[in-house]
Amino acid sequence: MNMVVANTAAEEALGVKLPSRRDEDWKWTDLKRLVERVYIAVEAPTAKAVDALVKSAPLAKVAAERVVIVNGVYDAKRSKLTGLKIANSAPVITIEDALLTLNGKLNAKAVSLSFSGNIDTPVEVLHVSSGDGAAIASRLHITVAADSAATVIETFVGDGEYLHNPVTTIDIDKGGKLDRVKVETECARAQHLSHIIVSLDARAIFNDFTFTSGATLSRQNGNVIFNGEYANAHLAGSYLLSGKQHVDTRLIVDHAVPHCTSRELFKCVMNGQSRGIFQGKVIVRKDAQKTDGKQSSHALLLSDTAEFDAKPELEIYADDVVCGHGTTCGDLNGDHLFYLQSRGIPEAQARAMLVEAFVDEAVETVENETVRKALIALVHERMN
Amino acid sequence: MLEIKNLHVRLADEQREILKGLTLTVKAGEVHAIMGPNGSGKSTLSYVLSGRAGYEVTDGSVTYKGEDLLDMSPDQRAAKGVFLAFQYPIEIPGVATMQFLKVAANAQRKARGEKEYAIPEFMKLVKAKAAALNVNQDMLKRPVNVGFSGGEKKRAEILQMAVLEPSLCVLDETDSGLDIDALRVVADGVNALRSPDRAMIVITHYQRLLEYIVPDKVHVLSDGAIIKTGGKELALELEAHGYADIVGKAA
Repeated sequence: MNMVVANTAAEEALGVKLPSRRDEDWKWTDLKRLVERVYIAVEAPTAKAVDALVKSAPLAKVAAERVVIVNGVYDAKRSKLTGLKIANSAPVITIEDALLTLNGKLNAKAVSLSFSGNIDTPVEVLHVSSGDGAAIASRLHITVAADSAATVIETFVGDGEYLHNPVTTIDIDKGGKLDRVKVETECARAQHLSHIIVSLDARAIFNDFTFTSGATLSRQNGNVIFNGEYANAHLAGSYLLSGKQHVDTRLIVDHAVPHCTSRELFKCVMNGQSRGIFQGKVIVRKDAQKTDGKQSSHALLLSDTAEFDAKPELEIYADDVVCGHGTTCGDLNGDHLFYLQSRGIPEAQARAMLVEAFVDEAVETVENETVRKALIALVHERMN
Repeated sequence: MLEIKNLHVRLADEQREILKGLTLTVKAGEVHAIMGPNGSGKSTLSYVLSGRAGYEVTDGSVTYKGEDLLDMSPDQRAAKGVFLAFQYPIEIPGVATMQFLKVAANAQRKARGEKEYAIPEFMKLVKAKAAALNVNQDMLKRPVNVGFSGGEKKRAEILQMAVLEPSLCVLDETDSGLDIDALRVVADGVNALRSPDRAMIVITHYQRLLEYIVPDKVHVLSDGAIIKTGGKELALELEAHGYADIVGKAA
């Protein structure tokens, strides 16, 4: 049965049909209902507003080079580039998804970075968004050349009740390595609807960590596709949510070729009436023998009204593979809390310590020590 | 230092009473041993003194340095100098031992209105005390008690005690799970902390520990109350005749 449902005013303004709970992948995040207000293109924010937001970026100090994107548009003046190659084209995406369609409809401007050689210091891509009712889309493309390595931090800051739709595509060539850290510290009134697509050639390594704590609504889609053998993808993340925040991560890891390894580790903390969701699908295609794919998601519910939902899926068509998934959900451990208190640590501080320790297990997957320490400090700051 | 009067305690979620009128006075500088059979209420006493949730005091009082101890939260008690060495030290994944020690020591200092430790000064202090207890650098970097052997956990507890310098130390079955060499290291650590300003309550099932930590007084706890008190020779008597003998006479 094909029912015709009238477009909402928000859909009319964005020019797309938004997915609803009728779509299996969106059953917990009904965008048709959740995207309530009308978002339109707005004028660029004032220089003063942008400067203040740039300054507020939590990981500003750890990056040597910085690409600043303001309301989806590359800002050459505020960017700091010393050797990085930057272009304004990106490949056409063949995957179909509502958030990718939206990105096209909003006419996102491409920013393309290519890395060659071993880049020691992290590069930050700072997304600055501002404006009540602003519909903002950005399109980032990253390529890592064969046997090259880089670290990219994608940070999101903003001010206002805007909708941000960033799409990132990443191609890592043979033997290349990319460490990516995403810091979602959007404005608390913002809606963040992102999609990332990663293609890995033979022996490529992709280490990804996403910190999610900012927007009121955050939906983060990811596709990781193994195109060459012996590649490795490590996807980790943590949520630090409170109030009525709603965060839904949907990852699809596609093992299309043999001998690849994927790991997913998400540690999610929900307080207040917030809701966290983790949906991870691992597909192992017929020829992808010797695949090693594991995923786990762990939730800490700090209030009776917080909620966590997990949907792990394994779709396996090969017969010689090691795959698994695990999920846990619970409150802080009372014995742990008492032990810390019995040593003189007040309850609130003890709770914060235990939450940080829980989250840090995912943060520890970040290889770059400076970035890792900055993330641990960010978690600490957000907890206190 | 500590005055427990007619203490009655039951588990909060059951009606069963565990301590049934326990009375005990411990003066500064003294070491008291509390011995008793399984189920006599030894661990309950240690938890009530340290403020663990789940125990309900239905009668009696606990006065510590002139203040009502039962009125304080666990962290307030710690800041005022109460320390429990756990029978089963808790593993805390993700919190490095050194970091934990620093946070605890500074939280106590802050609560007492004292100046907090600077990091280098504190690290030096911990390293010196750790060396005396055979606690190596690797253990200090590892998460609290995670992957520690039984002996390592007990040594780590005594290290915490040495660093936090409490006034009242409650050692709950610190000898359990220790071989003789480990026992000696732990006992030496405890003995080094004996001082005229500090009191200790050593809870144990066996007399063995008391050969190394020689008590001023020995109390026999049975069915929630102290039924006999004596000098260190009482421990030997218990070892020779068992608890049944004394418990039988008292009943």
